Amino acid sequence: MQSLLPKLGRLYVIAVFAFIFLPLILVLLISFSTDDYLNFPPHGWGLRYYHEVLGNANFMAGIRNSAIIAAIVMVLSLAFGLPAAYALTRLNFAGRDFLRSFVLAPLILPTIVLGLGILMIFTQLHLTATYPGLVLAHLVMTLPFTVRILQTTLGNLGTEVEQAAMTLGARPLQTFRYITLPRLVPGLVAAGAISAILSFDEVVLSLFIVGPRLTTLPVAIYRYVDERTDPMVAVLAVLLIAVSLGIVLIVERSVGFARAFGR
Amino acid sequence: MRGDLTMQDGARASTGPASASAPDTAHVTVENLTFDYGGDKPAVDGLNLGIRRGEFLGLLGPSGCGKTTTLRMVAGLIAPTSGRILVGGDDIVARPPWERNLGLVFQSYALFPHMSVAQNVAFGLRLRKLGRTEVADRVQEALRTVRLDGLGDRKPAQLSGGQQQRVAIARAIVIRPDILLLDEPLSNLDARLRDEMRFELRDIQMRTGITTLFVTHDQQEALTLCDRIAVMNGGKLEQVGTPEEIYDRPGSRFVSHFIGRANGFDCRVTGSGAAARLELNGRALPHAADLPPGPDVTAVLRPHAVELCTPDEGILQGVVHRRAFMGNALEIEVELEGGQMIFAELRPGGPGDDSARPGRAVGLTWRPEAIRVFPA
Repeated sequence: MQSLLPKLGRLYVIAVFAFIFLPLILVLLISFSTDDYLNFPPHGWGLRYYHEVLGNANFMAGIRNSAIIAAIVMVLSLAFGLPAAYALTRLNFAGRDFLRSFVLAPLILPTIVLGLGILMIFTQLHLTATYPGLVLAHLVMTLPFTVRILQTTLGNLGTEVEQAAMTLGARPLQTFRYITLPRLVPGLVAAGAISAILSFDEVVLSLFIVGPRLTTLPVAIYRYVDERTDPMVAVLAVLLIAVSLGIVLIVERSVGFARAFGR
Repeated sequence: MRGDLTMQDGARASTGPASASAPDTAHVTVENLTFDYGGDKPAVDGLNLGIRRGEFLGLLGPSGCGKTTTLRMVAGLIAPTSGRILVGGDDIVARPPWERNLGLVFQSYALFPHMSVAQNVAFGLRLRKLGRTEVADRVQEALRTVRLDGLGDRKPAQLSGGQQQRVAIARAIVIRPDILLLDEPLSNLDARLRDEMRFELRDIQMRTGITTLFVTHDQQEALTLCDRIAVMNGGKLEQVGTPEEIYDRPGSRFVSHFIGRANGFDCRVTGSGAAARLELNGRALPHAADLPPGPDVTAVLRPHAVELCTPDEGILQGVVHRRAFMGNALEIEVELEGGQMIFAELRPGGPGDDSARPGRAVGLTWRPEAIRVFPA
């Protein structure tokens, strides 16, 4: 009886992961199909659709745009998020506790509502289908995560080590530069990775803002699937997965996943 | 931190021992220091305290007595509500911590985890913009002082608790601080290491001659280490004195019970002037102390001052309740007629040992000067 429960537990965990990953494996397999339509198992295997993606100017532009936007979103997310997290953890001001619990609130709103609101404002400001517009929209999604992650990291650091530096002669800026910042690296890597992945994968908000002049990869895929269903979609899906996985691997290699996301 | 570290002139360069002032004047003076964060009563309430140059002063008291708050005010980590802190005659209250030239050793050590041991120790020196070779020399010297030479390249996480503590001490003393502040530095160590580090800490302080404020809740630490002890309770100073004074002549009822063990008697003072008598349940107790105004007072007696005798020779009578052999001492618990328990500490095999058997009726006696009397 006692040995049965752990075995059942293992089976259950395997089942859960199978449920998550089987569709991905299926997608990976279909991406090597040479058929004209989505079909499993495929009649022929090959790199036909990989070549087609590489030759598709629309997709290639989407990949480039998404990558540029994700990189900018990551940098800005950290640049805006770190001071906010610092203020929320280390400074005392009226309404701090309320703001603290409010940080994740934007994520509770349906994305479609956010998108509509953003669209109405951006149309007036002529920000639709521009890089600044997409970056700003994505920041709405990524900032809450960034602030939250950095808040946790800062909270876990405590203040004694910083105080020790100050008694040794370090001014506040020196303390931040030489003591706090280096100790924040795992949190910064985690928050940066989340921001980049969220931005690169974002569909709903982007749909409202993109236009013929500027589109992102997820939106391009969405539009393509709307019209046609051939194994090209699977190739694009594999691409998206590969990018996310790549970022996660970078995190794992640089600071370790467990450390980056704290306790 | 890297070698190319450049700093602004934030830290004052250490000037070594300040110009000699009169040896009897205090090096550090705390005047009317108060910290009131809006609770029921101030955490520190009008504290006055002097620390002499080169002195190792213990700030002793139960948790919540305000000792750590006092240390943090001296360090500049919190601002006092009122009062002054003078170092060598200058009021430092308005100065931020980075301009106070202090060495602070935290209970948690608070080492910089992302720096090596040597970088930790060098941190304060680099902020003072000392040259490369001088930094290296002084780091070496400090690590030698705390017996950590050769471990400079390790990260703090690779060190034992005792070694981490030594790094914290080295980091604090290497800047040649005006004052060394120790915040319960031994309480995170296991018992054996604590005993070892205790004397080593004092040894280091003696060799460097740095005026030291040592915060502790452990009376044993305070008694064995300090030149003088300041006992705090409820935000106020109870008594300042050498360990002997504090132990033998406690200045208050609180001190007598907080330091060492003490028997307390609820007594009454009757009469006044030369006719004043100290009475316990109507019985006169011999005493040598001046009696405080009564009528209700507390008489305090150390267990080792109590002697056992026959019931009719005793000042008080009772029945032995328990006998505990402690190796170098014999602890006897005697129940008085009213039910109160009195502790007596005897020498094994010495006088009274034979009669100190549970159930035996005994007398208790003591020299009159052993009794201390405080307002109840």
